[in-house]
Amino acid sequence: MSRKRSHIPELYKAKRRCVPSSSSSQENGVSTSHEDTNGITDTASDARTALLFLRGLFPVEKFEYRLPPIVLKHQLYSVMKNRTLVDKQLNDLRTNKEVKVFKLGPEETSRSIVFTDDYRKHVLKVMTDLKIESPVIEKVRQYILDQCTDVSLDRDTLYKGYGFTDMEITYMIKASILTVRDVGSWWLSIPNAGIFMKSFNRGRKSVTTMIRKSKYKEILKQDLEQRQWPKVARLGISYHIHDIMGADLVECIDTNSGQLLRLRE
Amino acid sequence: MLRLLSERESGILSPLILRRAETARRNFSLELSKYKDVEVSHKGGVNSLDIDVAENRYLLSGCSDSTIAIHDVLSKTGEVKETFSQVCSVSHNRGSQKHSVETVQWYPMDTGMFTTSGADFQLKVWDTNRLKLADKYTFSGLVYSHHMSLIARKHCLIAVGAGRSTVKLVDIKSGSASHQLKGHDAPVYSVRWSSKDEFLLATGGTDRKVILWDIRKAKGHLMALDQHNGEQATNTKDAKVAHDGTVNSIHFTPDGLHLVTYGTDNQIRLWNTTTGKNIMVNYGMVTNTVKKAVQSSIYSASSPQVLFVPSDSNIQVFDLFKGIHLATLSGHYNIVNCCVSHLDSQYLFSGGSDRNILVWVPSTETEDYEDHLRTDSKDCVVEGRGVKRTIATADAWSSDDET
Repeated sequence: MSRKRSHIPELYKAKRRCVPSSSSSQENGVSTSHEDTNGITDTASDARTALLFLRGLFPVEKFEYRLPPIVLKHQLYSVMKNRTLVDKQLNDLRTNKEVKVFKLGPEETSRSIVFTDDYRKHVLKVMTDLKIESPVIEKVRQYILDQCTDVSLDRDTLYKGYGFTDMEITYMIKASILTVRDVGSWWLSIPNAGIFMKSFNRGRKSVTTMIRKSKYKEILKQDLEQRQWPKVARLGISYHIHDIMGADLVECIDTNSGQLLRLRE
Repeated sequence: MLRLLSERESGILSPLILRRAETARRNFSLELSKYKDVEVSHKGGVNSLDIDVAENRYLLSGCSDSTIAIHDVLSKTGEVKETFSQVCSVSHNRGSQKHSVETVQWYPMDTGMFTTSGADFQLKVWDTNRLKLADKYTFSGLVYSHHMSLIARKHCLIAVGAGRSTVKLVDIKSGSASHQLKGHDAPVYSVRWSSKDEFLLATGGTDRKVILWDIRKAKGHLMALDQHNGEQATNTKDAKVAHDGTVNSIHFTPDGLHLVTYGTDNQIRLWNTTTGKNIMVNYGMVTNTVKKAVQSSIYSASSPQVLFVPSDSNIQVFDLFKGIHLATLSGHYNIVNCCVSHLDSQYLFSGGSDRNILVWVPSTETEDYEDHLRTDSKDCVVEGRGVKRTIATADAWSSDDET
């Protein structure tokens, strides 16, 4: 009976759960794998482990510790298959103040994630380096770092909700904690994010050109990982592979020799 | 499957669960049918399809060369290989000019009447048995879409999206327009009545907004759907949009509790009809470059419920509530304009600009037939007919065993 490998409803699947050996090595040692009857593997079972895994891929030492580990939201989609679940769990993590979400990148919907602890250390370091007065630092720490869970803030929230003055807002913009979005509304941002974006854009461009130059514009994931990586892009090839997979720039096709990445037009 | 049958027999499982699981399995395994097709009868792109609610038997199709055709999709012979024949066809022309038919719909109660509208600025009401025009309404602009409520008992209104930004309600009992709904700034591409409330209407168009109306309300609309659920802190007032691009298709689930919208920002969104909130289900990027209305379809008598969405020249199949991508149905040569799923047989009919109406059939149906063709490799006699059929790959010197 030649049955195509199509999805099967839950009720028809075999009840026993198989525990396969994990194929990719994970830096933090946390890995749980699920394999459903289609052979599609999830590398992590929930958003937090996926975030920890991707955070481990970020090379902080290459940026001389000027940046906290940044993970992009669409990278999570390449690690966990069910996107709705990813979105929901990420939202829960954000409201529980475990992670902070920022708008980073050209599209309206591109988001990047930093763990709250990392962000806190980073912001305090940046503010002390800029020699901002301690009462301002204290206020920022109390409201922005500990209480706020939004992606963007507007004038009402800052003035009435948190009690910031114009001078303090100017200090925050100087330290790049807030960036201007509109008249009277600001995005929360990561100081020194420019360095990250530069490397990131270069790296994404070089990965996509690598695939574009291949015959038939496709390449096996293992081959791509083994290729020589230009020094200009410092983020590391696995970080970028997760990025292009999650951003739907390539199609992931399962083959007998591993995953094939084919560039989407 | 056998386990489910034995559980149903012993009473452990309710019959409904088996039915829903089996229809889900059929929906998951849809493929282009090799043995069934719809008789070719259009010389232009198929813009709209509808199956009647009364008998689930007749497929009404509207074409861009201004013809309307009705096909009988009930399987009469029970054979696997069959063609759904055309019952009749009629031309929508105004005089000698041909205008494209954009939307067609059966009368919700029976097949005695159907309504069509199109680029000739008119909405026409036809008598099916005589194939004659019963009534027509003229508008000031192109009619993009019209819809009649399937459950309405207290009114006989047809909602029409026409011209530059108007949504008009036309009453077929009295023969005149009842009122106009103002709220959009740009052409309205899709209008849809709710499948639960007979007075609730959803409209969406080029201004990226989806507005819900209660037609009994004197002033203004009920609510405009916001994709960020009001969480985007911004000063600009027009950020309250449902999509970042034109809204191409609006579809209510049959229980009327949810609404699915699809737009040219390559996103599908699921909304809760009562609160108007975006249920953040992530369907991924679904390419949509079509600048006119498309018709998507929901099959909800299975669990999980299945959503069929035309995406350029493919149809994407999704799990409605989880957003998991189940399959891509590719078979059309040009963009797919409409798709409609048949309630009883889980067949999917889709029409596209390549003039074809394709039938997508669960692969479980054709597998047994193909096995049958393969095993009897020489001649096979069909019971009751006495017709000998030779298989094309049959020959006298190869054996049945595979080597």
